[in-house]
Formats: sequence, structure tokens, C-alpha cells
Amino acid sequence: MSTVDRRLKATSGFYRNYVKRSYEEAHLAKAKKRPVAWISSTFPVETLQAMDVVPVWPENYASVCAARQVSVELCELAEREGFSRDLCSYSRCVLGSVFGYEKELPEGGLPKPDFLVATTSACDTHMKWFQVASRIYKAPFFVLDTPYNIGGRDSEHIDKTHIEYYESQLHELFAFLERQTGTRFDKYKLGETLALSDWTSKLWTEIQNLRKNIPCPMDARDAFSAVFFMLCVPGSQAAVDIYTQLRDELRERVKDGVGVAENERYRLVWDNLPLWYNLKIFEYLNNLGAVVVAEVFSHTWTGSLDPEKPYESLARKYLPNMANSTIERRVDIILDLVKEFHVNGVILPTNWGCRMMSIGETIVRDTIYKKLGVQSLIIDVDSSDWRIAGEAQVKERFATFLETLNR
Amino acid sequence: MEALQPFRRILSNRHEAARQWKSRGGGVVGWTCTYTPEEVIYASGALPVMVCGSLGETNLADAYMPSNSCSFARSCFNAALRGEFDYLDAFVESTSCDNREKTFDMWVNYSKVPNLYLINMPHTNTESAHQFYYQQVVKFKEWLEQVLKSQISEDSLKEAVAVYNENRNLLRQIYDLKMKKPPLLSGTEYLEIALSGLVMPKTEHNQLMKALLSEVESRADMPREGLRLMVSGSVMDNTELVRLIESVGGTVVADDWCTGSRYFWNDVEMGNGDPLKAIARRYLDKVPSSFMYMREQRFKHVAELAKRFDVDGVIMFLIKYCDTHMFDAPYLRDELKAMGLPVLYLEWEHSMSGFASLKTRIEAFVEMVGGVQ
Repeated sequence: MSTVDRRLKATSGFYRNYVKRSYEEAHLAKAKKRPVAWISSTFPVETLQAMDVVPVWPENYASVCAARQVSVELCELAEREGFSRDLCSYSRCVLGSVFGYEKELPEGGLPKPDFLVATTSACDTHMKWFQVASRIYKAPFFVLDTPYNIGGRDSEHIDKTHIEYYESQLHELFAFLERQTGTRFDKYKLGETLALSDWTSKLWTEIQNLRKNIPCPMDARDAFSAVFFMLCVPGSQAAVDIYTQLRDELRERVKDGVGVAENERYRLVWDNLPLWYNLKIFEYLNNLGAVVVAEVFSHTWTGSLDPEKPYESLARKYLPNMANSTIERRVDIILDLVKEFHVNGVILPTNWGCRMMSIGETIVRDTIYKKLGVQSLIIDVDSSDWRIAGEAQVKERFATFLETLNR
Repeated sequence: MEALQPFRRILSNRHEAARQWKSRGGGVVGWTCTYTPEEVIYASGALPVMVCGSLGETNLADAYMPSNSCSFARSCFNAALRGEFDYLDAFVESTSCDNREKTFDMWVNYSKVPNLYLINMPHTNTESAHQFYYQQVVKFKEWLEQVLKSQISEDSLKEAVAVYNENRNLLRQIYDLKMKKPPLLSGTEYLEIALSGLVMPKTEHNQLMKALLSEVESRADMPREGLRLMVSGSVMDNTELVRLIESVGGTVVADDWCTGSRYFWNDVEMGNGDPLKAIARRYLDKVPSSFMYMREQRFKHVAELAKRFDVDGVIMFLIKYCDTHMFDAPYLRDELKAMGLPVLYLEWEHSMSGFASLKTRIEAFVEMVGGVQ
């Protein structure tokens, strides 16, 4: 079996063909004076796509900088300007790239925003960080103040007042976008975008479900790069095309019994973010016979959208996002993953500058163990700041954890 | 001054008033964010008390919460695990910030306090935010009525507003005593007065403040006048820091804390309409904390206080790991410096561990600023 090519064809060249290109296109759009907006995750990007605004994702950019091994240097630039080392490393890295605009930055840096949009749903940091950027660039900033989802277990169980508040802000958002772009809101265009986004979600869900198979046909490394489309450009034909191709390839692999690891002995769930600066850690796990078969991150961005009810369905898609919900939502997602994906261990990485990802992992660990007898590993790391935890130490923790699963 | 003693006594036994209230058959509801509409709790007949942390280690909480979580929230949760709040009939938290939201999950899963409630707090004060928040306050009121088995009438809400507005008015008068040169109250004394009001019935607090105001002008034991300083930060639930500053030659004449000036600056503006609406409006429109979108308003408040109280310098004391304040800090610092004010920037654990080095830094700052004058 060792001669089998275990790399996926659909995802090879992903970065070069799509991510890198998205930055080139954003710079080009900026040069052509098309509206460019900075956007935070959990913001309903479909609204920008429907208004022909070019979305730029600072969070994605931070992960790019981490993968290129320059994130710490950029974080330090922000720290020198007075931003605490205990703040979110994404925000420090991106602010560092703004302060260090004269440096040679990956992908030429982020294009300057004409305006910025963010939610308060994933974290306070989004709003505060974008507020800083808005001040630096003197660019308008729209905050979609997202009510925290308290106990709503899925899109069908969201508090009515939350939906109403969200919807009323979507109306305010379109008025804002009309002012910023000089373009009229077109409900047919929004409907088209929502239909594509809905399709993207369905394909992404199919892709994830294929990973239930033993051996698992797709690794976390591929998932964390492929989720780019679900997250950043869900309402686009490109997303639909690439996911169709990926799904078909995975179906083939399942049929042929080709898995990620040569000898799959442990199936893991991975919570939160990866170590963007060290995605090779997943290969390290593979070599120990462990495969991350599901990331919570891959199971939180989908949502069905109905072009007939655009506002309400956007509210129902984004409000129950795990990042915007009390802990039982995260626990439920992981419980389901452990059961449905035949999982025997859960990795719970915290993220130094992120309270949302760090506080509550004990509850996840305790509940999963109590209900399913499956062990979890809480490991203190950071997605982009490698000063928090050394590689040797992280590897050691993983190896030890796997041994306990062995017993 | 004799009139200070009751405040001091209550603060040093901060659970005493609540326990007494409880022994007389009353309900006690704990809150921990100053965005909690306390008036609604008061109107239910229950005693609202602020859940605070305590200085020192947080060993019990550390077993559940990571070291990068808000050290104030961790300290409060630690106190809960120690059973310090076993008298609470209910605990109310607000979604004001990530640390609060997430620590609430901790209370739900690991504390023994019955009846926990999380109020959804907007992060802005647009008209749609006001409408949403009002709905949340109505829901909170209904929840309280249910768990406390009491009715909250319009009249009781109006009475609560009157008591709380009087409390804020008295606090403002007392706060202004530090404007005088030399100040009629030290920062420590002021804080003892303000903080004790968070853990005792407001009506009694009002009586004590009135008594103090009638005595203070003729006090014989005037506080020593030091370098006039302002402290800026998130929350302060004890007097240690201010006591430390005042022990090395400073006098804290103004503050930018949610439990300090931001607590009483704005009244509920009671018109003829729905008192609940007036209460809800007050909380969204008050001098904002850093989690609110309108941060320039807080900066303005800080700048005005600095001028009005004629401060010589500012100590920015940020409790780790408060994201929203940390994001604002570089700009607030720059604005203060642009006003010609020296600034000492500190990020510290709520527990005040490393007290000796904290003292050294503050001492050096006071000497440096004092020397320049």
C-alpha cells in the first residue's frame, strides 16, 4: 500500500490557484477602484458578494502569514505600538502588517479597505480590532451587533427577538452598502448568491460526511485549507465547482479504500484552529497512525439559505454558529462528531489570545468523557504565535495522549 | 471621621449585609457586570449584590479555567467554588464581553448557585439595539418574577428608579469632594464608600452617604494631599491598588472604572412612560465600557474627568486579560499624553500577585511625575 499516492488532486495547488489569486484580485480591484472591504468571519459575506464588493479577510491573511513563518515578526510590530502580547495573535499579526507596510509582506499585504464590516458574534476582538483599523485608515466601519445565542441548539431554535434584531441590522447594512458603493441593492442578485451559498454548504456537508468512512479519505490539513471557500466565498460558482470536484475525488477514494494514513489506528476530532505555522503536525499524527477525521471548524460554517426568505435565513445560518453560542452548542457538535465519525480521541487546542476558544474546554472534556467515555487532550497553544508552545513539547503531548488511548 | 466607619465595616465583611437580609427571609440576587439593570432586581424585593473576587490565588478556578482568561472573572468564579456565594437565590451575568459569556458557562456547569441567567447585551446603542435590549430586559424581569415568585409592578420599578437615582446623585456629590484642593476625601475613602454600596441595600447606603455629607466639611482628620492622579481600567472591586498608590505619595482623585465613575455618571431619565423602558435606555446610553462600539465617548469622559479634577498623571491599570480595554489602551494612552499627562501603563492580575514590583513601578512613577512639577 505504500506506493499509493495519498495526496488529494483536487486540493493540490489550492493555495496558488485560489488563495493567492484572491489577494491578487483584491489588489487589482483596489487599483481599478472597485470597492474593497475588510470582513470578519461570521459576517454574512453573501451580502457583500451580492453587492459586488470585494471581501478581504484579515483572519485568513494572518493564517497566511503564519504559514509563511512571518506572523511572530508582525505580532511584535503591533506589540511595539502598544498592543498587548495577550491579544489575539490574528489581530496583532494583521495590525503589524499595517504598521509594517513598508516591509515585503506576503501577497503584497492586505489592500487598504474602502470600508470595514465585522460582527460581534465570534468575539469582541473582531469589533475592537477592526475599530483600530478603521481609525488608522479613516475608513467607515459597519458593526453587525450579533446577539449571543443562549441555548439555541440549532437554526430552528433561535430566539425570535434575536432574529428580528439581526434582520433589522441587515436592512441597515444594505443601506450602508448602497451608500458606500453607489450600487443599488438588487434582491435577485442576493437570491442568486444565497442559492450558490446554499449549494456550497450542501457540498461541504457531503464532503465532511465522506470522512466518516474507515479509512478516512481526507485529512485536517486539506480540510483547513479547503474550508476557505465555505468561509470566504460561499456564494460563488468557483466554490461549487471546486467542492464538486473534491467530493467526487473523495467518493472514488472511499470506493477504492484509500485513506490518509497507511495504518489508521486513531480517529480524532480537532477543535478550534490548527497551528497555521505548523500544519505538518497533522503528518506527524498520521505517522503515528492518527487521523483527524473531523474538525469542529469544518462543521460550523454551513447553513441552508432560502432565497425567498433572505434575511431570516441569513439570521438562522449565522446566529447558531458555535462561536456565537453557549458551550452546550459546541459540546453537542463534538458529541455528534465523536459518535458519527467513529472517533476515539478529541484534541482541544486553546488559543492564547482567544477567550472564546480557551474558556470552556474543560466542560467539553468532562462532558464528552462522561457521556461517551472518550478522552480529550487540552493543549495550550496559539494558532499563529509559536512563542506560546514549542514544537517538541506539542509533539510530546500528542504522542503521550495517543498512548493513553491505546490502553 | 466617624461617618466613614460604617462603609469600612461593610466592605471588610462584604457578605454580611446579604446574609442578614437573607436571615430575615429576603431573596438575594448576585450580579457581576455593571450593565445589569439592578433596578429591576431591587423592584422584585430581592437584594441585588455585586459578585466580586478576592485577592490572592485562584486555585479552585484554575482547575477549570485557563490562565489566559480574565483574572477578575476567574477570581469571582473561584469565590463561587469556595462557597462564598452560597446565600444567592440567583446569579445574573451579562453578555458584555467574551470573558463574561464564557465564564457564565463555568458557573452553569460547576457552581452550586441555583437559577442562573445571562442577559443579552448589545454592543451598540442604535435605535434597533435599544428595541432589542428593552425586549431582553422584559424577559429578564419575567424570569425574575418566576424564580423569586414575586410580581414586579410599575410602581415598584418607579420606586427603584427613585432610590437608584438618589444613590447616583449622592455618589456624584461625594465624588466631587475630591475635586477640592486639598481633597476632602482620599481615593481609598471614596472607594470604600462606593464599593460598600454594591453589597448592601441602597436605601441604607443613601442614609450613610447623607450622614457623611453633613459631616465631611468639618472633618478634623483631613487626608494627606499627594500627587493628584487618575486611574483608568475596567473594574475595581477592592481598595488595595488605590491604597498602594496613596501609600507612596499619590491621591487618587478620579477614576475610569465601571464600578467607579462609570457606575453613577448617568441617571435613569424617568418620563411619564414605561419605567422599564427608561431603565433599559439608561444602560445602553450611559458612559460606555470598552466593549461598546462608542469608544470615543469613554475617551471623552476620561479626558473631561482629567481636566475637571485637575490631575497630574494617569495610571492605566488593566486587569489581565481584558481584550476590549487592551485594544483601546494604545489610543487612550496617546490621547492622555497629548493632553500633556504622564501615563503609567500596567497590565496586572486581579490577584495583585507580584505586589512588590507593582509598588516599585508606581512609586517610581509618582516620584518621576512629582519631581517634574
